[in-house]
Amino acid sequence: MTVADTNQEFFAQGNVYLPHIAVIEKIVEETPGVRTYHFNFKDEKLRKEFTFQSGQFAQYSVLGTGEATFCISSSPTRRDHLEFAAQRVGKVTNALNRLGVGAEIGFRGPYGNSFPIDSLKDKNLVFVGGGIGLAPLRSLIWNVLDYRDKYKKIDIVYGARTPADLCFKYDLEAWDKDKTVNMVTTVDRGDDGWKGKVGVVPKILEEVAPSAGESVAIVCGPPIMIRFTFPALEKLGFKPEQMLTTLEKRMKCGIGKCGRCNIGNLYVCRDGPVFSYAQIKDFVSSEY
Amino acid sequence: MADKKVGKKDIAGLLEQWSQQFAVFAPSKESGVAAMAEWDGKDISFLDWYRNTVVPPKAIFLPPMEELFRFQKGKEGYNIEPPPKDKHKRLIFGVRPCDARAMAILDMTFEQALEDPYYLSRRKSAILVGLGCTNPCESCFCTSMGTSPTDQTNVDLMLIDIGDDFLIEEVTAKGKELIAKTSGLKGATKEDEAKAKQAKETAYNKVTRKLDTEGIKDRLLASFDDEEFWEKTAAKCISCGICTLLCPTCYCFDINDEMVKQEGTRFRSWDSCGFPNYTKMPMENPRQEKWRRVRQKVCHKYEFYPMTFNVIACTGCGRCIRLCPVNWDITQVIESVPARTEAKK
Repeated sequence: MTVADTNQEFFAQGNVYLPHIAVIEKIVEETPGVRTYHFNFKDEKLRKEFTFQSGQFAQYSVLGTGEATFCISSSPTRRDHLEFAAQRVGKVTNALNRLGVGAEIGFRGPYGNSFPIDSLKDKNLVFVGGGIGLAPLRSLIWNVLDYRDKYKKIDIVYGARTPADLCFKYDLEAWDKDKTVNMVTTVDRGDDGWKGKVGVVPKILEEVAPSAGESVAIVCGPPIMIRFTFPALEKLGFKPEQMLTTLEKRMKCGIGKCGRCNIGNLYVCRDGPVFSYAQIKDFVSSEY
Repeated sequence: MADKKVGKKDIAGLLEQWSQQFAVFAPSKESGVAAMAEWDGKDISFLDWYRNTVVPPKAIFLPPMEELFRFQKGKEGYNIEPPPKDKHKRLIFGVRPCDARAMAILDMTFEQALEDPYYLSRRKSAILVGLGCTNPCESCFCTSMGTSPTDQTNVDLMLIDIGDDFLIEEVTAKGKELIAKTSGLKGATKEDEAKAKQAKETAYNKVTRKLDTEGIKDRLLASFDDEEFWEKTAAKCISCGICTLLCPTCYCFDINDEMVKQEGTRFRSWDSCGFPNYTKMPMENPRQEKWRRVRQKVCHKYEFYPMTFNVIACTGCGRCIRLCPVNWDITQVIESVPARTEAKK
């Protein structure tokens, strides 16, 4: 994996714990409970100079309520604003849900490593996503599609529990229309209007059966999906080094100090969030 | 240059002198439990009762609770106000070698990757004055963990009890500089040095608890999925967290906000991997079961920290053994980790 970009110059007042103030510019209702927030920094200089890589995350705060961890879900190739997606499940995400356009949030980051974009060049890419787990993948997918000729075949297998739970529907449509992309969407349970596949992601992935040769699979979704997707990929001939994932754990500091996000000796914040299956397979069965 | 010495009865004077330049911390029971506290300017009775503090000296550098910043919400939005720069230079008198080694182990975490400005600003300006143990506890096993009751490696100055005096060993440049500016010290004689050597040997031999850590990293890795072993190991633990909160090498913390009307504070506070909420996310918790949390605690110290920093994150201070309400004993646990060949996978 690429070494964490430290970006020391992006710390507010040289202190890694102080957040920058950002303003929400747009809110997209993805599903009942999931929203994408478009935001920009209040500080003009930072707005111009801030950079990140696909896969990196940040600590977002509703000041007074607390911080929560989300990846930057927009692509670094599209920098007029930044995006993150949040499911309304806890204290901070509920507080976020009460905010509207124009509200201020705190931002610390970018933290963590990123997808090894240089080593993906000239490879077939297989994106496997579930639910809101598409958020980090879509940053990379758009990044890759903006330099389409550098990559070979692109498969995207994405699923959610029901059609109503599919996130980023506008992206799914765009990728479906893109002739250079094989887009497969599936749901665990269909409804009357559903014309796509029905079945859990690992099973549909085996049906799609992307070739393992010259390929890298990039996986993100709920833990249960991740646990079953690795064996499915192994069946298709993928080696642990050819499988990448980005993990989510409870985090507080985001910089490898507060202790809680480890899988074995690796901290998801410091050594990840992007890992190869080879790195985590000793621990992933019982710790994730 | 020959070592210096200071009379035990002159310690108050020495601390008084150092107080001109530093905020001096020394062992105290003022708060009801033995801890390093700001010296009151006169009391040196700790020389009689002090074996080690209950609260490790890490609490000075990573306080149980501290403000990260304040914020106000006004018409122009939020304003973030960091705490004022730390102006204190601290001198910690009486640090035990196990705890000094623990500070060096903590430094690795706070220095690596992105630096922690709060911890490091206090730590870098501080002077540690070690005090060799003459009376280790039954629960101490420092000599198995890369240190000893009189190990001078991680302090700036080391004091060794030689009867009526303490012999002063000048360890670092910082320590030498301080001694050069300190008046009222006596020169140590050959006899004093012989006495110190004898004191060190005696103290070393008083640490009777031993722990064999040979191959422990591999044994733990092989036993990671041995649920039966971890269930048994965790059986009597009551998840009180004391073995982690008062461990000199534990650093886990939580970050929270408090806000009243338009003004708030973000603060951090000690946390423990022993608590079920520690890893709880809204949808799931990877360490809901107690045995997973106990496994984390043991493996973090004896497997994961060595994998990252090449050092076991335990100095044998014995606090977790002395303070555990149900007599959980880390040395017994480490010795009972199955050998690699027997491990269940």
